Amino acid sequence: MVTPKLKLKSLHVKVSLAVATGALFIMLVSSYFFYQRIYDRSLAESERSVQQLLETVSATAAIAAYVGNKELGQEVVGGLTKNDIVIGAEITANNETIGAQGKHIVKGGPTYSNLKLIGPFDPKEIVGELSVLTNLPLIAKRARDSALATTFSLAAQAAVIAILVLVLVYWMMTRPLSSLSKRLHGIIPGDGKRLDVQTKHKSDEIGLLVNDINSLLTTVEKMLLEERQLRHRVELLEHRFRGIFEDSSAGIFLVREDGTMVTANPAFFKLTGKFNGLDDVAPDTNIVKETFLIPDQARGLIKLAIVSQRPCSCDLKISSANSDEKDRWVHCIFSPAGEDQSNPVVEGVMYDITQRKLTEDITRELAEKDSLTGLANRQAAELVLKDLTTSRLQTGGGFVVMLIDLDRFKFINDTYGHDAGDWVLKTVADRLHRRVRSSDVIARLGGDEFLIILTQTDNRLKVKELAEKLLADQQQPMEVQPGFFETVAMSIGIAFYDRKEDNETSIRKHADQAMYSVKRNGKNGYAIYNPMGKHDIFIANKALS
Amino acid sequence: MRAYILTFLLTISLSVSAWADLLVIVHANNPVSMLERKQVVDIFMGRATAFPTQQPAHTLDVTNSSDLRAIFYKNLTGKNEAQVDAYWATLVFAGRMSPPEKLPDEAAVIKAVKNNPAAIGYVTRQNLPAGVKVVMELPTP
Repeated sequence: MVTPKLKLKSLHVKVSLAVATGALFIMLVSSYFFYQRIYDRSLAESERSVQQLLETVSATAAIAAYVGNKELGQEVVGGLTKNDIVIGAEITANNETIGAQGKHIVKGGPTYSNLKLIGPFDPKEIVGELSVLTNLPLIAKRARDSALATTFSLAAQAAVIAILVLVLVYWMMTRPLSSLSKRLHGIIPGDGKRLDVQTKHKSDEIGLLVNDINSLLTTVEKMLLEERQLRHRVELLEHRFRGIFEDSSAGIFLVREDGTMVTANPAFFKLTGKFNGLDDVAPDTNIVKETFLIPDQARGLIKLAIVSQRPCSCDLKISSANSDEKDRWVHCIFSPAGEDQSNPVVEGVMYDITQRKLTEDITRELAEKDSLTGLANRQAAELVLKDLTTSRLQTGGGFVVMLIDLDRFKFINDTYGHDAGDWVLKTVADRLHRRVRSSDVIARLGGDEFLIILTQTDNRLKVKELAEKLLADQQQPMEVQPGFFETVAMSIGIAFYDRKEDNETSIRKHADQAMYSVKRNGKNGYAIYNPMGKHDIFIANKALS
Repeated sequence: MRAYILTFLLTISLSVSAWADLLVIVHANNPVSMLERKQVVDIFMGRATAFPTQQPAHTLDVTNSSDLRAIFYKNLTGKNEAQVDAYWATLVFAGRMSPPEKLPDEAAVIKAVKNNPAAIGYVTRQNLPAGVKVVMELPTP
């Protein structure tokens, strides 16, 4: 802050300099002008006075010349040279000098003046000549002195006026302004103080300035108050929002379109575990790539949020910091943030849903699995069938459904109790499980009824081979009670998926029909459904026999 | 009769012109027979101290109180009496110069001219006695 003293000083100096310079300039110009004029005039006057001098003595000189009287001539030139502006005088008549005094006259030259002497009695007769040498240096000196005196008096006047102007300017403007400034300096906006108008300045510019400053002070104070309140409110809000941001259990982060991060809250870092904090992230780190297991998914969402200007959410997997840890799930909401369209920023909110996902998985498993055998249940099987029939319509290819019903299960249940029955079911499930691929589906539809869906093959031979192996597996007796062994055979109905004819219910029905044909024909065998009604039946006992 | 009338008329005209003209006279033996006006001025105003014939000249004047002097100088130089007196005062004050000799009247002038061969004077037109001759007539308006 510049001190006001210095400023005012400089203003005063400026005014003084301006006035002084102006006065000096005017003085110089006028001095030059007047000096020249007065000098010229003085010179001319001197010349005229020399001429007048000559005129004055011309009558006497003419008489002297007329009569050739040297005494009179001498007297005239003697009188002339008594004037200090004449340094030489001479009267000639008829080429004869009748009087000479002072310096010798040389005709011509700047100091030479002459007068023809006219005869006193005949104006037509030139009786002689009166010549003088003027004291030019003296004349010039006098002219100079006179000019200088005038110039000096003018300069003195100008100086006096300049000083007067200076004093008046200081007294009437600079001083009131400086005192105004001093008083203004003592006022801190907001302390309610005002400048008072001095009565002598009430109606002039200074009074106007004081009034303007006062109204400005009022305005500034009002604005300051408003701003202070506003700032307080903003601080409060910011505190609250910061609290929300910092303490939120949800990870909040701002990313640009290119994937670099603007900011993030502690929860974000705690959640992702990759970085210790905001300072740990290099400015050009692609946080999206580092955080999400499938970055393209997240990128797509971010782009969508920017394009649609709407929040977009999705469950995403985040890659964990150490590889031995399991990947975690987060629910992520991306919302467009900020007004800048050229460099859009997206706000991401994520919260950990790994636990929920786990619970969901368990729930789904519970819903889809048969609790006794761990195989898929009826609903799951039906879902898979539905999926397959719809997907195979588009992709082509086939699949095979095997419907299995245990023979003599009711007998075992009734004879050895439900625990034995359950044991049988579990054992069968294990045996089935061992024979099929992981991509295939095994389900217990209920009771002693099983369903196998072979998704990868529709090779008739392979299917037959599998069915035979399954039947062979069942020849192994099961210990239904300690010391009691039972062999439980099964009847298998097989249906091949026909793209043109089948849907999810029809193919099961077909397998069912094939299965019943086995039951009717002696059980412990398999049958492949034939739409013409003549199923391809294979009975194990018969084959064995 | 006619001759008388002529003589009368002549006399009248002469007497009228006698009032009007002045005569500059010198001694009858003076070799100068005629003088120019300028020569007369130079002699009377002190410029020339001799006649053109190198004979010294002695100028005669009449007293101030007479009209004759005033008329003479007025007609000869164009100056009035006071101017002429001032002129002479200047010259006399400077030294070595003296104004014309002053005589009481015309008769004294004629007498002085008659007695001095160097003298020169002026009179009104009149019948002049022997021993005096006119060298210039100065017409007066």
